[in-house]
Amino acid sequence: MAKKRSPYLLVKVIFAVVCLFLFLKYAAPKVFQVLMAKEHLMPTPSTLMMWYMIMGVLAGLVYATTSNQKFADFLGFLLPEKGAMVKSFIRKMLFFAFPVIIGWFVYTWSIPGAASPVELRIQHPTLPQEFEKMENPFRNTDAETQRKCIEEGKILFQTNCRPCHGSKADGNGPFANSFRLRPINFQDPGTIATVVDNYLFWRIKEGGPGLPSEATPWDSAMPAWKDDLKDDEVWKIIMGEYDTAGVMPRQREKTE
Amino acid sequence: MNKKIFLHLRKRSSVVVLLFFFLLSSFVSVSLRANAAEAPVQPTAGVELPQFEAGKAQSPEGKVTEGAGTGTAAVEEEEAGPVQYRTFFGIDSRLIVWIVSELHLMFAAFVLGVPIFAVIVEIVGFKGGDIRYDKMAKEFTKLLSAAFATTASLGGLLGFCLFGLYPEFMSHMTNVFAPTMYVYALMFFGEAFTLYGYYYSWEILKNSAAKKWFHIFLGILLNLFGTGLMFITNSWATFMMSPAGVVPATGKVLSLYHAFYNPLWMPVNIHRLIANVCFGGFIVGAYAAVKFLGSKSQEEKAHYDWMGYVGNFIGVGALIPLPFAGYWLGREIYSTSPVMGNIMMGGAFSWTFIIQAVLIGFLFIGANYYLWLGMSRIKGSERYTGYIKFLTMIVFMCFAVWLTPHNLPLSGEERAMIGEQYHPFSKYFGVMAAKNAVVNLIILTTFFSFLIYRRSNKGDMVPFSEQGKVGKIGIMAGVVFCLLMLVSYAVSLNFVELEANMKVFVKPLIRCLYIQAFTICLAAFLTFKNKGKLGQALLFIVTPCIAVLYFWYYGFEVMQKANLVLRYLSVTQVSIVMSCLIMNAVIDIFMFRKAKLVGGIEWGKMPVRSQYALLLLCVVIVILMGLMGFIRSGLRMDWHIYGVLQDTSQWAYTPSLAYMGRVVGLIVALFLGLVTFVFWLANLGDKKEKAKGYEGNEIDTHSEESH
Repeated sequence: MAKKRSPYLLVKVIFAVVCLFLFLKYAAPKVFQVLMAKEHLMPTPSTLMMWYMIMGVLAGLVYATTSNQKFADFLGFLLPEKGAMVKSFIRKMLFFAFPVIIGWFVYTWSIPGAASPVELRIQHPTLPQEFEKMENPFRNTDAETQRKCIEEGKILFQTNCRPCHGSKADGNGPFANSFRLRPINFQDPGTIATVVDNYLFWRIKEGGPGLPSEATPWDSAMPAWKDDLKDDEVWKIIMGEYDTAGVMPRQREKTE
Repeated sequence: MNKKIFLHLRKRSSVVVLLFFFLLSSFVSVSLRANAAEAPVQPTAGVELPQFEAGKAQSPEGKVTEGAGTGTAAVEEEEAGPVQYRTFFGIDSRLIVWIVSELHLMFAAFVLGVPIFAVIVEIVGFKGGDIRYDKMAKEFTKLLSAAFATTASLGGLLGFCLFGLYPEFMSHMTNVFAPTMYVYALMFFGEAFTLYGYYYSWEILKNSAAKKWFHIFLGILLNLFGTGLMFITNSWATFMMSPAGVVPATGKVLSLYHAFYNPLWMPVNIHRLIANVCFGGFIVGAYAAVKFLGSKSQEEKAHYDWMGYVGNFIGVGALIPLPFAGYWLGREIYSTSPVMGNIMMGGAFSWTFIIQAVLIGFLFIGANYYLWLGMSRIKGSERYTGYIKFLTMIVFMCFAVWLTPHNLPLSGEERAMIGEQYHPFSKYFGVMAAKNAVVNLIILTTFFSFLIYRRSNKGDMVPFSEQGKVGKIGIMAGVVFCLLMLVSYAVSLNFVELEANMKVFVKPLIRCLYIQAFTICLAAFLTFKNKGKLGQALLFIVTPCIAVLYFWYYGFEVMQKANLVLRYLSVTQVSIVMSCLIMNAVIDIFMFRKAKLVGGIEWGKMPVRSQYALLLLCVVIVILMGLMGFIRSGLRMDWHIYGVLQDTSQWAYTPSLAYMGRVVGLIVALFLGLVTFVFWLANLGDKKEKAKGYEGNEIDTHSEESH
């Protein structure tokens, strides 16, 4: 069986990579704005943009070299050929565009500008040992006591936490917009639902100032509540907070 | 002129390599000494540390005794109490133990992994009567015997380092595990005797079936001893992470059984057992690639091409269940200690998991790429090459999701523009529900690649209904196995001990298991009706719909409301994917059993870049093992034995990512250098023989190579 030739493989690969770029840069922010019912665009973060583009280019190169025929077609496009006007035109465009694009990248990366640094964030800094073995004293009580604690906790939450975290625990409190790093949306399954009760106890008690060194200081504007709230009140707030957000705390599992 | 110099250097390459490593080790040693001398002693954050330094000993009250280490101080030292830590000629003790133990582990992984498939290959060769398999199994074992002595030497060095540099910690470990240490030593004798017996009796025990079976029995014994050795040492390592059977405050042993069979012991055993096979497969693949690239005859090329294929096949075969075993281990770590679990996935070690994701992604891409390139040496593969573009897209899209972190590095401006903590990409791609979904899709895609590779050489099929009883029994056996797996698990889910509000989240899992069981039956029915391909297609549609799409969504729901159900969800996901792989493989084997061959496989006619893909796979798996070793050990933070014996040395801090990268890089370079040297030694004896054998049979490799 004769092998299928693909003389425009290089152009196809470049086209696919350009499409990916356009999608990430222009389409994705709009799509997410609509899907998430936001008033503003949701631009793709630069780090992800870089990673996804690298993968796009890599995918193109992998595909183009999966057979000798494809590889030859891929590189063969760059070789001169008599009579192929369209091909010749595209080739010239490529030879012109490639250094221009590289130059544009170099220029945009090297022009001086002011921007805050991009930091590797640590989502869940290490819980100190003294908090690890703690248990919420109200979790294993009877249903009536638990319900009472949740109600008390909700009141305490609305009194102390609502200004930042919002009345629905969705991170949209009246003060939320004044923070560069907005308060966390507790309804998001990737936040408080992934940690145990005592993790929250530590975060509420110690707040941002109590973050360990690996978590950068600007990761949290949360005040330390240890001087304002009693332990029992903190545990109740935690119960009220989970209930308000509609999620459950991570539960300890038995080892098999 | 340059070419002459290059050729001259090639002849002297071994000397150059040795010289390079000598210089490298000297440089590392000198620079480390310099650093150790310059670096101030930094206490670990959050822990009040006694200041141990070389030449100083600590009194029980924590005061440093000046002058310890000198002749007069020896008496004072004895009075002050036992020495807790020593330095290795002024070098950081932890670094030394880190490097030596990791090198030992890597060699041990090879030595334990290779016999598993060497024996299987030998059995396949013996039963099938194909001498090539026997030759290849022997070649595997030759590498094994060469690496064994290095593994043992490194193990001895590690033991000396541990007892010398961490005397108090080792005293504690000996106190708990002394009886198992004697068993370990005895089993080591068993391993050595069976390994050398297995290798050196190869030619003697091949003349009759009884002798061959005895030889195979030796190989099985070798595996049993090797696995036993690993299980014993695993108990020591896992005890350090999840101690049991001792009184935490005093370290007094209450139950050796519980200390040995601690919570993480079995998950680590299973994970390492599979990972060793994977590691061994990719190392053998790289060995074959190097030999392929240096081959001078077509026969040699064909042999090493085939060997490389087998190596890759074994590596990928073991790679497929590895994420499941890793997930189980991760869950058990979380169950053992939420602190360790948290810092592993969301804390200080979360970024190492992004590196891990990149490396695993490369393993899958490399393995698929090798298979796709391999199709070019099979006549008839043109019918299937059209799928490659879609497979490439799926693999890379899965890779993209796989490595997207939940916590993106964002600048302040980006945070302000996004307006919340998580961008949708990281919100929906960054959590475990998404990761589990895409890793299952990558596994299904890799399996599909293998399936089309396998079919490339197959032409017209004999209708299944005309194939006799063997096919029918085979399919029925596949169905029964899958149904047992799916239905028994579905039934067991009805009896899980959960509160009523959580139990409702288990119901959809049960339904999914029954749907998959029904699909398996339907696929088998279609195969009986000579529509096996349709049955396979059905499985390839239903399985991703349930295990990828639905569980991606459902995983989020469970995460929010019933995290205890996640454990059952992941097992359900694995069972469904595994049943798809098993049933599809069984259908494929019997459907194409008597199919006409299109044109055969031209072994040796492989593009050179395919061999570099094999080398890449080897380097990646070595880096991965180095990285995961760091994570497993580092999770204990400043504890020798978590929660029991604290590390109060000056090296008790968690290393930064950059420092970890440098050390793991050094370990990888050392291992690859050592393994190259050991394999070169193992082949020295064959060189003259081969030179005679291939004399007059040389070909111009450049004209044969396809670029």
